[in-house]
Amino acid sequence: MALHRMPLRLRQTVTHVRWLHTSGLGQQQEALVVEPEPEPFSVFRTQQNDPASQSEKHIGQFYTIPPADIRTLFPHGLPRRYQQQVKTFTEAAVMVRQPALEVISYLKETDMSKPAQRYMFYGLKGGGKTLSLCHAVHFCYTQGWLVLHIPDAHSWVKNCKELLPSSFNASRFDQPLQATEWLRNFKITNEPFLSKIKTRQRYLWTKRELTEEGSPLGELVDQGINRVKSSSDVVGALMKELRQQSGQPGCDFHLAVAVDGVNALWGKSSIQKEDKSEVDPDELTLVYNLRKMMRNNWTGGAIITTLSHTGAVYPPKLAYLPQELLGERGFDNMDPFIPVSVPYYSEKEFESCFLYYMDRNWLQHPMSRTEEGKKEIIFMTDRNPSLLDRICAFL
Amino acid sequence: SGSGLQIKLIGRARAGSGFNTRGVLAMRWSRYNPYYLEPEVRKEVYDKPETELSDEEKEEQSLKALRPIKAATNSVTSSVFHDPVISKFINMMMKHGNKVLAREIMTETLELIKRKQVEKYHKAPEGKREEIECNPYAIFHQALDNCKPVVGLTSIQKGGKYYQVPVPLTDNRRRFLAMKWMITECRENKHRRTHMYEKLSQELMAASMKEGNVFKKKIELHKMAEANRAYAHYRWW
Repeated sequence: MALHRMPLRLRQTVTHVRWLHTSGLGQQQEALVVEPEPEPFSVFRTQQNDPASQSEKHIGQFYTIPPADIRTLFPHGLPRRYQQQVKTFTEAAVMVRQPALEVISYLKETDMSKPAQRYMFYGLKGGGKTLSLCHAVHFCYTQGWLVLHIPDAHSWVKNCKELLPSSFNASRFDQPLQATEWLRNFKITNEPFLSKIKTRQRYLWTKRELTEEGSPLGELVDQGINRVKSSSDVVGALMKELRQQSGQPGCDFHLAVAVDGVNALWGKSSIQKEDKSEVDPDELTLVYNLRKMMRNNWTGGAIITTLSHTGAVYPPKLAYLPQELLGERGFDNMDPFIPVSVPYYSEKEFESCFLYYMDRNWLQHPMSRTEEGKKEIIFMTDRNPSLLDRICAFL
Repeated sequence: SGSGLQIKLIGRARAGSGFNTRGVLAMRWSRYNPYYLEPEVRKEVYDKPETELSDEEKEEQSLKALRPIKAATNSVTSSVFHDPVISKFINMMMKHGNKVLAREIMTETLELIKRKQVEKYHKAPEGKREEIECNPYAIFHQALDNCKPVVGLTSIQKGGKYYQVPVPLTDNRRRFLAMKWMITECRENKHRRTHMYEKLSQELMAASMKEGNVFKKKIELHKMAEANRAYAHYRWW
């Protein structure tokens, strides 16, 4: 490694890092000996910004998502603290980790003629499930798939400011605000597909408003954004169209459905009707349509989901496994799925994250850069990614 | 002894009171018998091998085997990140014993200061980067130092009238005044809908740049003391 070109304070950590994990870096060393070293060289960063070409040897390294991709793909997908971090560091760096790589490798080999495969990220709180989902979604986006990203299903079953009785089915309830917001973000993400895909059915919204058969999807989405009252039904129609059309011989897109906090669909809701009785998630149009999307009776894509304990409504206290969080109904609906465990950082990943924070000038306390401080941080956080972020924030 | 005990001099001798051999009674804060030793939480003290100890330290160690030790309070840590000034500030911000909330506000303040500065650092061109101070602890200490008054005013009665007399302040008093002004300024003189950590971070950054209301208050106190210089000889201590 080019130790003579590295700043002094990184050199010690680099040698320390070398002792911990010789295998991964050993490969890199061989690669370096052959070619001239790329500048600038760092242990924790990789120049490979395309998720499709990332592999095991990049595990623990950070890659950057270009700002244009962030603006189109993640108007609503990233966790709040991570968005603040992106703003502070003026770049969006995501760590390449094993669970996301595993799901991406499966996505690369999906057979588009078979029913959609369901993947579920699960793990303890703060492990990195949402960011792994975002990594997988970025891969789908770079491969040109149509991305249906629901950033937080929990926000659809709680804190609802407006609840209208549904025009389509009298026993269900609409949520116009959440539906319009989601449609707006969907439009930003999938702009190119909106003019290419055509509807296969005629939709009658009110006596005077209807969407003809064969009109572009963009018109459907605009209908939902402009006419707030029918937006939940538009969401349902959109999902139905995409489900029916994907996998058909004529269509040219692959569908990626990404849901964060899928246990909200089968859990409780904290919304109340006017007579203070609780609303079951069954009775919400958005949730009902999303549940239909989660079934694997369509082809030509994949369903990637995350379990979430933090946003859930009255979950059991120490639950993090799929069976505990989804409940019986949810598990039966989601079965069969591929569970992917997202653990806390390994030693190598922790070192990498630490070096990244030092590089971005984030660790300011003089003691945090010493060995003792590092040991104390490991003790306090147990290498939990979100705790590490919170503790290093004020150090 | 560790923290200064508030002492009460024995006034009248009352029948049947017995006599206190020490001559003083501990009245406020610490109710411990002075026989008790302070707990030692620093790791360096225990890491020293036997041979390197000086005679006094050996004596202290032997005393520890004999004398009882006070219970450590919740706020003492052997953490390398422990800062006594910040602990004092957190205690002063605390209301109704809610230390958790006070600590949360302090950490959010430090985080916000660091975030603003690091963002400035990354957006600045190469030449300007060295001037930007990103360390929130340095900014906090600098802000407090800038707000510490050098002299204070006390009310002294002379000939029926009360005069404001400039008087030197002890270090503790100066630190206390700086922190008190900072906290009251943020609680009272800012917009009601802003969070405490936002208000604190703005005021601390301004004070570290020698601007802001708290710095102004210190300057005004100095001016008043300068104006009342003539009465300085009224002080007899």
